[in-house]
Amino acid sequence: MNDDDARERNDSSVISRRDLLRTAGAAGAAALVPHSIAAAAPAEAIEAGAAALPGPSIATAPAPTGPLMNLTARETEILSAMVDRLIPSDELGPGALEAGALRFIDRALSEAESDSAGAYRSGLAALDRYSHYSRGAAFVELSATDQDSVLIDLQTGGATGANVGFVGSSGSFFNMVKSHTWQGTFGDPHYGGNVDFIGWDLIGYPGVRLQVSEEDQRALEADELTPVRRSAYDYATFRVDQ
Amino acid sequence: MTAAAAAPSSAQTPASFIVESPTMLTGVLMPRDYSPDGRNVSPPLTWRGLPEGTRQIAVLCQDHGAGRPPPWVHWIIYNIPGNATGLPEGVPFDPSERMPDEIAGATQGNNGWGLPMYRGPAPPGTSLHHYHFAVFALDTELDLPPGLTRDELLEAIEGHVIGLGSMVPLYQRQPSGNGPQFPS
Repeated sequence: MNDDDARERNDSSVISRRDLLRTAGAAGAAALVPHSIAAAAPAEAIEAGAAALPGPSIATAPAPTGPLMNLTARETEILSAMVDRLIPSDELGPGALEAGALRFIDRALSEAESDSAGAYRSGLAALDRYSHYSRGAAFVELSATDQDSVLIDLQTGGATGANVGFVGSSGSFFNMVKSHTWQGTFGDPHYGGNVDFIGWDLIGYPGVRLQVSEEDQRALEADELTPVRRSAYDYATFRVDQ
Repeated sequence: MTAAAAAPSSAQTPASFIVESPTMLTGVLMPRDYSPDGRNVSPPLTWRGLPEGTRQIAVLCQDHGAGRPPPWVHWIIYNIPGNATGLPEGVPFDPSERMPDEIAGATQGNNGWGLPMYRGPAPPGTSLHHYHFAVFALDTELDLPPGLTRDELLEAIEGHVIGLGSMVPLYQRQPSGNGPQFPS
C-alpha cells in the first residue's frame, strides 16, 4: 500500500498501546452485549434464568489448555507475540494473552472465522518475512519496541510495498488480527476468550445485567458497583436453545 | 512546492538558515532505515544560523507528491527548545517514552495516518518522491498539546515564524534489501 492508499483506507484505529485501546475496547465490549439486556426484568426472573442452566457456569468453567487446534507451533509463536503487543500485560493488569485471545482466535478459525484461516497462514508468514527484511530478525526475536514498530508498519500499510507476501494490504491483516484480539479479550467469555473477565476488568465493564436499579446506578457512578461475573449465556433469556 | 510555501504568513519574511543531516542530503535517496524498508526510525537533523531571538523550533516532514489533497504528512514535532541544534536519530514513537535531553519538552503531532510519531516514506511502486523537512524558528515559547495536525500547527505558529530552513531528500522503495550507502 502506498501513502495515498493508506490514507484512503486508514480508519481511526490506532496502534496498540494499551492506553489507546482502552476507549475502543470499551466500545467493543458494549457492542457485544445483546440489546435486550437493556430491557428490565424482575430480579427473580434473572435468578431463575441463571439457575435453569445445566452444568457449571461458563464463567467458572476452567480455561482450556493444551496445543492449539488450527495453528502450527511456529504460527502460534508469531501470533502469540503479536497478540501480546496488541494488548500487553503491564502495570494495569493482565493483557490479551492472559485473557485467552490466542486460543479464542485458534478456536474461531475452525468455527465462525474458518474463512480467515488462509489469511492467518499467509499473513503470519509475511509478518515474519517482513521482520527479517526490515529489522534483520524474526518477529519473536525483536525487542518489544521493534515489534511495535513492525506492527505500526503493518497497520499503516508500509509493509505492503516490501513485497514480502502480504495478500492485499498489510493493514488488512493487521486489522483482522486486532479485531479478533479485541473480541477474544473483551467479548463474552462464552466464546472462549475474556478468561476470568480480564478484558471486562481492564475497561471497567461491570458485567451483563438484566436490570439496573437506582442503587446500581449510584454505585456505578461512585465506581463502587460490584461486577457481575457471568456470561450473558448464563441467563436463560439469552440461551439460543430455549 | 517549497517548504517556504508551507510556512504560515508572518509580519515579515522569515530569515533563511541551514538544515542538514549527517545521514541525508538534499536530492539524494535517504537510507532505507528511515522508511518501512528498514527500521523506520526518524532521521537525524541539524541546523545552524538560526535568527537571533529564536525561542522555540518546530519541524514538519511532508511529501507534496502524495495525499488527497497533498501534502501527505510523515512527521510533526514541535515545542523543541530554541537552543537545540538538531534532532537525534530515532526520536521515540511511544508517547510515554521520554524525549532525549537535548530536545526535552519536544512533542509530536499527528501525521497523515493520525499517529503521533514519525513514519517514513512508502511511495507507491518504484516511484521517486521528495520529502520536505521544514524547520521553523519561532520567536516565542508555545506550550502546544500533543497530537496537533499540520493545519493546527501552522495555525498555532502563525505570526511567530522568524526563520525557516529545509532539506529535501528523496526516497524510492528498495524491496531488494540493498539500499544506497550515504557518501562518506
